[in-house]
Amino acid sequence: MLPAGAWWSCGRICLNPVLEVRNLKKVYRGGEGPAVDNVSFSMARGEMIGVIGPSGAGKSTLLRCINRLVTPTAGHIFIEGEEMTGAPAVRVRGLRRRVGMVFQHHNLVARLTVMQNVMHGRLGYMSTLDGILGRYQEADKKQAVEILTQTGLGSFLYHRAGELSGGQRQRVGIVRALMQQPSILLCDEPIASLDPASAQVVMDLIRDVCHRSAIACIVNLHQVDAALRYSDRIIGMYRGGIVFDGPAAELKESVIEKIYNKPIKQLMIGDGIKGGIRDEIREGMHSGIREEPHDGIRDGIKEGLRDGQNG
Amino acid sequence: MNPEDYTIVLPPADVLPSAGTLSPYRQRPRRPGIRVGDAKRDMPVYLFLAALAVLTVVSLGLLDLDLAKLIERLPKLGKVFLDMSRFSTERFSLTLLTLLETIAVAVLALIYGMLAGLVLGALAARNITPWKPLSFILKSLFAFIRAVPTPVWVLLVLASMGFGMAAGIMGLLFHVVGFFGRVFAQIFEEVPSQTIEAVRTGGASRVQVFFGAVLPSSLSGIIAWTALRFETNYVEAAILGMVGAGGVGYTILAAMNSYKLGRAGLAVLIVFVFALAVELLTTYVKRKVKI
Repeated sequence: MLPAGAWWSCGRICLNPVLEVRNLKKVYRGGEGPAVDNVSFSMARGEMIGVIGPSGAGKSTLLRCINRLVTPTAGHIFIEGEEMTGAPAVRVRGLRRRVGMVFQHHNLVARLTVMQNVMHGRLGYMSTLDGILGRYQEADKKQAVEILTQTGLGSFLYHRAGELSGGQRQRVGIVRALMQQPSILLCDEPIASLDPASAQVVMDLIRDVCHRSAIACIVNLHQVDAALRYSDRIIGMYRGGIVFDGPAAELKESVIEKIYNKPIKQLMIGDGIKGGIRDEIREGMHSGIREEPHDGIRDGIKEGLRDGQNG
Repeated sequence: MNPEDYTIVLPPADVLPSAGTLSPYRQRPRRPGIRVGDAKRDMPVYLFLAALAVLTVVSLGLLDLDLAKLIERLPKLGKVFLDMSRFSTERFSLTLLTLLETIAVAVLALIYGMLAGLVLGALAARNITPWKPLSFILKSLFAFIRAVPTPVWVLLVLASMGFGMAAGIMGLLFHVVGFFGRVFAQIFEEVPSQTIEAVRTGGASRVQVFFGAVLPSSLSGIIAWTALRFETNYVEAAILGMVGAGGVGYTILAAMNSYKLGRAGLAVLIVFVFALAVELLTTYVKRKVKI
């Protein structure tokens, strides 16, 4: 893993950024308050940003604004210097090709083969008729086979996407995004529905892609430990706004508490982060008190019952 | 979602056993104990059943059935069936030929209707239509077309095109398009929005998204409904002969009119056997071939 805060990390000001977001705001019709409010940041080639924050903080909306799946209410988005906001539909199509997206539920066409799904990434570069007839370039197909083989899917080329395991499907989703030859890769909860082993394979793959091909990656994550382990830079969101933007090393417990608006003890995040809690347990064992693992839950229920009776 | 929502707050222990306090909808529970269902949620079902009961009573009253006469005439019905079962092979080749005509009408109306239905269905599906009001307009049109019975459409076509199979195909086509347009639109709407979104993010055009993601995802549904529609088409095409659109229906009608009940009976049997064969075949294919 590359050290956090390496040379390409550029923070809020950045020369020649691959993506620049300026004062972005999105208000959904009928939503309570803005989903994304006055968000600004920029990123360099090959940078990996982990976005953390509670559900509803605006992480997904932020990503969807970047490739215009959601139309922003106000603000500007520049992709390699070209403005995405306000661009006409024809140009949005061209800009979208440069932004790959990986989804929580991989969103493959279950009936089609791995190759067919992966080749969908090329549709943006083809004429409509060629797309309909599936007349893909031989060179593109060769590249698809190559990347699939590299990601360990070489023997699944003609399997239906629906027959694969969750981790394999997610890898197919990533390869599809790579076939776009993107300069930015947006990953929306890519490991939220994967088991720990598949999650690691997928995160390793995203990081490799990001650093080796110099593709800027934004990864929305619920797993704070994964975000810390893989990201060069962390953006913490709370109620639509950025409350933290900096290298992973600077993400202190107090900042995490601010992002999730909860004391750290009530957050189920990796033990490595909750150093304080681990120390407490160790102390308890030294003094001869055996910590029952379920005590915390029981105390919670007792507390809840007490609260209920009082209220 | 507000982060506060994650906090688990259990109700105080003394409220749990008494049911009345937990249900906001019913003040006085008919039976003691904790309710399991939610009366308010089940309301539409009760309303539907009540409406059905009322309609049954009202329509029975309106029909003014003369039961006595019906029972009196039953033996005559039996005699007609008996006569029909004395099969006669008189002009059997004509029966077969007209049956082929009927099948041809059903198949052609199916193919033309399917092609039109795919295009119109795509325009009418709310998730992929280029213009939202178009979806509503088309769906209303489909509903109107299906509300008018097929024989009426055929008579309208007959009036303008004259007798024959072409009129039969045209007349049948109205319903087929109305049916496929509605059904295909619904199948397309069931394609997960995420699948469409994923292909769209690659910069694919609207038409490419349709052919790349929507159509492959809907293929099994399209085939199943087309097979079902063929059976309907065949039966309707047989009936259409009776209003003058040719086919086996006309043969049956002509035989009945000249009291050649044996000939009509055999024709009806052949129509039935073919329908059964089609159904068995589609069921078999559906089971064997995984689409």
